[in-house]
Amino acid sequence: MPDEEILEEGVLSPVEPEIQDPLLRALMADEPAPAAAPVATPLEQPQAVPAEADEVDCLVIGLGAGGAPLLARLAMAGLKVMALEAGPWHNPTTDFATDEKAQDFLFWNDERLAAGADPLAMGKNNSGTGVGGSTLHYTAYTPRPLPDDLHVRRDFGQGEDWPVSYEELEPYYNEVERFIGVSGPTPYPWGPARSQGYPMAPLPLNSAAQLMVRGAEKMGIKTSPAANAALSARYYQDGVGWREACTNRGFCQAGCSNGAKSSMDVTYIPLAVKHGAVIQPNSFVTEIERDERGRVTGVVYTHNGEQKRQRCRNLFLCGGSVETPRLLLLNELGLSSGQVGRNLMAHPGLQVWGTFADEVRPNKGIPGGLISQDTHRPAGADFVGGYLLQSIGVMPVTFAGQVARGRKYWGQQLRDYMKNFNHIAGINILGDCLPHADNFLELAEEKDGRGLPKPRLHFTAQENEQRMNAHAEKIMRGIWEAAGATDIWSFQRYAHVIGTARMGLSGDDAVVDANGRVFDVPNLYISDNSTFPSALSVNPALTIMALSLRTADKFLESQQRRDG
Amino acid sequence: MSVPTYPSGTVRALLATEHVSEATRAVLESRLNAPAAYEPQLLAPETFALLEAVAARIFPQPDRPENPIALAPAVDQRLAEGRADGWRYDALPPDREAMRLGLGGIDEIAQELFQAEFMALSAEQQDAALQALADGNPPGAAWETLDAGRFFEELLAELAENYYAHPLAQEEIGYVGMADLPAWTKIGLNERDEREPGE
Repeated sequence: MPDEEILEEGVLSPVEPEIQDPLLRALMADEPAPAAAPVATPLEQPQAVPAEADEVDCLVIGLGAGGAPLLARLAMAGLKVMALEAGPWHNPTTDFATDEKAQDFLFWNDERLAAGADPLAMGKNNSGTGVGGSTLHYTAYTPRPLPDDLHVRRDFGQGEDWPVSYEELEPYYNEVERFIGVSGPTPYPWGPARSQGYPMAPLPLNSAAQLMVRGAEKMGIKTSPAANAALSARYYQDGVGWREACTNRGFCQAGCSNGAKSSMDVTYIPLAVKHGAVIQPNSFVTEIERDERGRVTGVVYTHNGEQKRQRCRNLFLCGGSVETPRLLLLNELGLSSGQVGRNLMAHPGLQVWGTFADEVRPNKGIPGGLISQDTHRPAGADFVGGYLLQSIGVMPVTFAGQVARGRKYWGQQLRDYMKNFNHIAGINILGDCLPHADNFLELAEEKDGRGLPKPRLHFTAQENEQRMNAHAEKIMRGIWEAAGATDIWSFQRYAHVIGTARMGLSGDDAVVDANGRVFDVPNLYISDNSTFPSALSVNPALTIMALSLRTADKFLESQQRRDG
Repeated sequence: MSVPTYPSGTVRALLATEHVSEATRAVLESRLNAPAAYEPQLLAPETFALLEAVAARIFPQPDRPENPIALAPAVDQRLAEGRADGWRYDALPPDREAMRLGLGGIDEIAQELFQAEFMALSAEQQDAALQALADGNPPGAAWETLDAGRFFEELLAELAENYYAHPLAQEEIGYVGMADLPAWTKIGLNERDEREPGE
C-alpha cells in the first residue's frame, strides 16, 4: 500500500473506495485478481515519470481524440504537460494482429450497465482504451458537420444550439484534416464552399460502395466518395515524418498495423512527445483533489497496481462521455447545474444488409467508402434534424454477432446464412439525436473491480429517433433493392455516447462554457464528446479533435491575459 | 442463389506464407492447435457438459464429427478470469450468475417440456427446448427472474463470435482477410486477389 498519509492538509477528497489496493481487495472479496495487461507494451515507459512532488502546468486525463490534439498544442506552447492514459501504449506492428478477437484489448472492457428500452452496446461499439483512445479502433469516417447541425433548436425549436458557430470551428477542421491526413473529395458536394480542400484524394471504392452507387443512382440519390482519416497516398506530417498509404486491409474497426489510419498514436501523440509532453500509460485516475477554494490541485491514480498522485495547475478531463461524467460524479465536481450525466444522446446507426449475386468480399477496403448527405434535411420529413447514408464493409466475427442479435438465427440456419459472407454488403445511417429526460448516465450501486460504482446508461429511442429510423430504413431498403440485393434485413443500433457534460452559455443549464472550462471550477476543463450540446448528424471524432485544439487555444489566450 | 462453398485447406496454406503477419499467425495457430481436452476452470463439470451440449445444438457441426470446433471452453475461461466485453444488459445479473441460472433454466425447460434433463433429450427435443428459450417465454421458475430473451441473445452472440473467430469457420465462409500482406489490390465488385479462394 502506498503511504496512507497521501492526503494533505487542505485537500478535500470525497472518494474513498473501501480498499485501495486492487490485489488486496480481490483477496478480501474472494474475487479473481484483476487480469494483467493483455499484451506486452514495449513502448510503455519511454520517458522518465516526474516525481510525485513535481507539479505540471497541465495534466490531461485520457489520450483519445479529445486529449491528444490539446496535449500537443499545450506542449508546443512550451508548457510543462503530462498525460495519464488508462490503457497501455501499443506497438502497432507487433500488437495489432488481423484478428477481431485478438484485438479485444482496444476496447474499454470494464463493465457498463445498459438500461432503458434501447440499451446501448458499449465495449467495441463505442469506447476505447490505450494511448490513442477509441481512435485506435474508429472506422476513421470523418465527415464535417454541416453548419446547421450546430443550431437545431433555432431551426426546429427542439434540442440545443451550440455556443460555438461553424465559422469559428472551420479553421480547426482545416487544420485537423491537413495535419492528420484526411482523404476525401474536393470540392465537397454538400454544405457551403470550403476554404480548403482535403489534402488527399479519396480512398478507392470497395464493393459495398460500388453497390451503393448503383442503387442510389437509380433512386436519384447523390453519392460521393467519403472523407476518411486514412491515407490514400504516402504522406508527410510535420513533426512526425512520413506515413505509409492504406493497404486496403479493411480492418479499421481494430488497430491499423501500418499507421495509415490517422489515429492519435501516429499523429498528435508523437507531435506532443516531440515537444516534451510526458505520457504515462496504464494510469487510471480515481480522485481529483482540490483546495479549500475549490481549485483542482492534482489527481490520485493507480499505475500498475500502485497508487500515485500527480499535482497540476490545470486539469483537462478527456476520458469520453462515460468516464468523464463518472469522474465528476465520483468526485462531486462541477455538479451545480445538475446536468452532469444528463442529456445522454446516441446516434441512430440503423444498418440494412443484403445478399448480392455479385462477389462482394466485404472485408476489403476502407469500410465506409461512400457517403450521401442528401438526407441531411429531407423534404417532408416528420422528424427534427437528419442523417447521412454510408456504405459499410464488415468483418466476420462482428457480422456473426450482429446476425445472432439482429436476426436471431441459430443452428444450421445461422451457419447457412453466414456462408453468404462474400456476397453481403450493407448501408447504414448516422443520425442526429435529441436529448431527453429519460436518457442519462448515473452511478450504480454495483461496484467494479476497482471498488468504484459502475456507470449505468439509460437510453430509450424517442419518437424523433424512431421516425428517423423508419424514414431511413425505407430509403436504404429502396437503394439495396435497386442495387439488386435479396434477403434484405435491418439491424437497429445506436453508436457513440454524447452529451453527458454539456457545453452552454450559462452554468445554470450547462457544465462547461464554450471554451470547455467547467463553470464551477476555474482550472478544470473538459475536452471530449461529453460536451457536445447536440449530437450532430455526423460521426463525432473530427469535431472532438477540432474542439480540442480550440479549447487549447482559448486556454492559452486566457493564460496570456492573466500573465500579460 | 446457391450457398457458396470454398476449398478446404486454404487457411492453413495461407498461414505458412508471408501474406500473414507474425502477430496474426500466432493468434490463429493457437486457435487451430488448441488441445481437444479441456478442464473447466469455473463451471462445475456437469454444468460445463450442459453448456457443451447446448453449444452443440446452437452450432451443430455434422461435418466435423471427429473434431468439432470447441465453443464452450472460451466461455468458461472468460467467466473464470472475470473478463467482460464492456457492457451488460441491466436486466441481467452479473455474467457468472446469469450463466449458472440460465443453464439451470435450460434444464428446467427440458423437464417441463419432456420430463427429462436436457442432456438426455434427442437432438430434435433439445432444439425444441432451445427454441422455447429463443422465443423468450419458456416454462420454468428460473425464467421468472432471468430475462430469457436477453440471456439467449447474449449466449448466442458469444458462441457465434467464438465460432467465427476460428480459422476453419472463417475458411468455411470464404474469408481470408487474415492474409492481408502486403495489401489487397482488387477490392471492387467481382474482383479477387490471386490468393483469395474461388467458390
